[in-house]
Amino acid sequence: MTPLVLSILALAGLSLCLSLWAIRRDVPLNWRFALPEALPKGGAPRFETLLDYTAPEGQAHAPAIVQESGGFSVIWFQGSAEAQPDVDIFASHITRDGDAWQASAPERHLTRGALADAFEPRQLVVTLGNTIQNDAAPGHLYTTAVSVGGWAMAAIAEVAMGARGPVRASKLNLSPILNRSFLVKSPMLAYGDGSHALPAYFEMGPTYGALVRFDPRGRVRDQRRMSGTGVKPIQPMIVPLDATRALAFLRDFDRSGTLWLSRTSDGGQSWSRAEALDMANPSAPVAALALGDGRILMAMNDDADHPDDLRLALSRDEGATWQEVYRFTGEGALRYPMLRRVGDDIALAYSTGGKRGIRVHLFNGLWLAAQ
Amino acid sequence: MRAAADWIALALVMAWVGFAVAGPVGAGAIALAVLLLRGWVPVSTLMALLAPLGVMLPALALRQMAAGMGVAVIPFGSLELVVFLLAYLVFLASAMGVVPVGLYRFGYAPVPVAVMVLAACGYGALSGQVFLPIVAVMGQALWVMGWGSSNWFDHVLHAVLVPVTIVVLILRMV
Repeated sequence: MTPLVLSILALAGLSLCLSLWAIRRDVPLNWRFALPEALPKGGAPRFETLLDYTAPEGQAHAPAIVQESGGFSVIWFQGSAEAQPDVDIFASHITRDGDAWQASAPERHLTRGALADAFEPRQLVVTLGNTIQNDAAPGHLYTTAVSVGGWAMAAIAEVAMGARGPVRASKLNLSPILNRSFLVKSPMLAYGDGSHALPAYFEMGPTYGALVRFDPRGRVRDQRRMSGTGVKPIQPMIVPLDATRALAFLRDFDRSGTLWLSRTSDGGQSWSRAEALDMANPSAPVAALALGDGRILMAMNDDADHPDDLRLALSRDEGATWQEVYRFTGEGALRYPMLRRVGDDIALAYSTGGKRGIRVHLFNGLWLAAQ
Repeated sequence: MRAAADWIALALVMAWVGFAVAGPVGAGAIALAVLLLRGWVPVSTLMALLAPLGVMLPALALRQMAAGMGVAVIPFGSLELVVFLLAYLVFLASAMGVVPVGLYRFGYAPVPVAVMVLAACGYGALSGQVFLPIVAVMGQALWVMGWGSSNWFDHVLHAVLVPVTIVVLILRMV
């Protein structure tokens, strides 16, 4: 045997040892969704507006709700304009004070400079975009960070937040194209084993929605796609119907004028080709929340005659039909809603005035039923 | 550890550029500059643009610099490079959603990675060169240790290989 063959055999032996280690350590992914808790039926109908904020100048857009003990926070990106090099993530912390809720004055929460310093390895951050809570790690966020170029060159960063800002950050490994063009918008999806998946989307070229799964160390372990024909499906909003079935509502980046839907019946391992729904949509993301028993609450801009209005609608038949619950109106477009459970209540956040401000409401199931 | 591996990789890749311009002195100067000036905007921009660098790019940089200093290396054949380029373009197209199957996701799973690394070793044995097996196994080791990307493909491939391969093929034709 030649030294070359011997050295390659040694490498193959080392590889086999590494493979055995990796296979033994690998934890198979659980593909059964966690089911939502039912809303409480007691008490009185309640609807409150907790925050109605307008940025002093520039834009404030894409709010996300961060669940916390004793309340929640709302975070959004704010700066002179979207994708500009002065955009940071702002936050208002909303806490319960007796029977009332108090929203703190908006302040910078995550800055480009602090994030650049927290990155491992350190790297430039030019602007920030949609940012959501990492439900799998308390105090952590997923932010859309741009180091070079525009949104098509964005990457999703996992950020560990400390008392004074980010303490550690790293980009998720989602694409071989310089790890670029993945963004977040919708909240994470819970699985029955306590793990979480991240709805994300690839925004370069044909575009597609993705469901990202993680290993126990929080590293990307898998990703599955939601694609379509004649559509550029992005910003998947995933609603589980039972342990294995779920709906993903998708915005069309190409402005087809309708909302799109992809389905899974195997816990998110495979998704049907996106199909156009008979629901108008001005290329805007929707927010949705499973309420159990096939009921889905959705916030969307589905009135073709008034696309700037945000409608809250309820489906009692797994999304087949929808009934308007409430209509939010105002000057300029109401966009980018997010719905999340906050204890026994539901929080709704959206941007107002065509990306000029942020509004947050809190309501309960009885208010929904009374509409 | 992840950061250290990426900084060393970037220093080696940039040293390759310095070597092409000014030989070993240029390589050393640029590598040192990258490591010392990590907070300088041009350097942090390069890191933002190229990370994760993986094993292949710095290994190629070392190999080319070694060849430049007189060490005998077996060059890749033109047919090998053409086949690699075509296969890699299909791989990148699949990541962009042009091809229905996402090939990149196989790099997260231990069994497909094990098969691919052994295939690289087998190809090395058949073609009589050890470079690819070394890169494949080193990439697997870093991947298993959790140093750098959670996807093995990021350790053994890099999008910069597309223009590098095209330039090499063009230079061989002229």
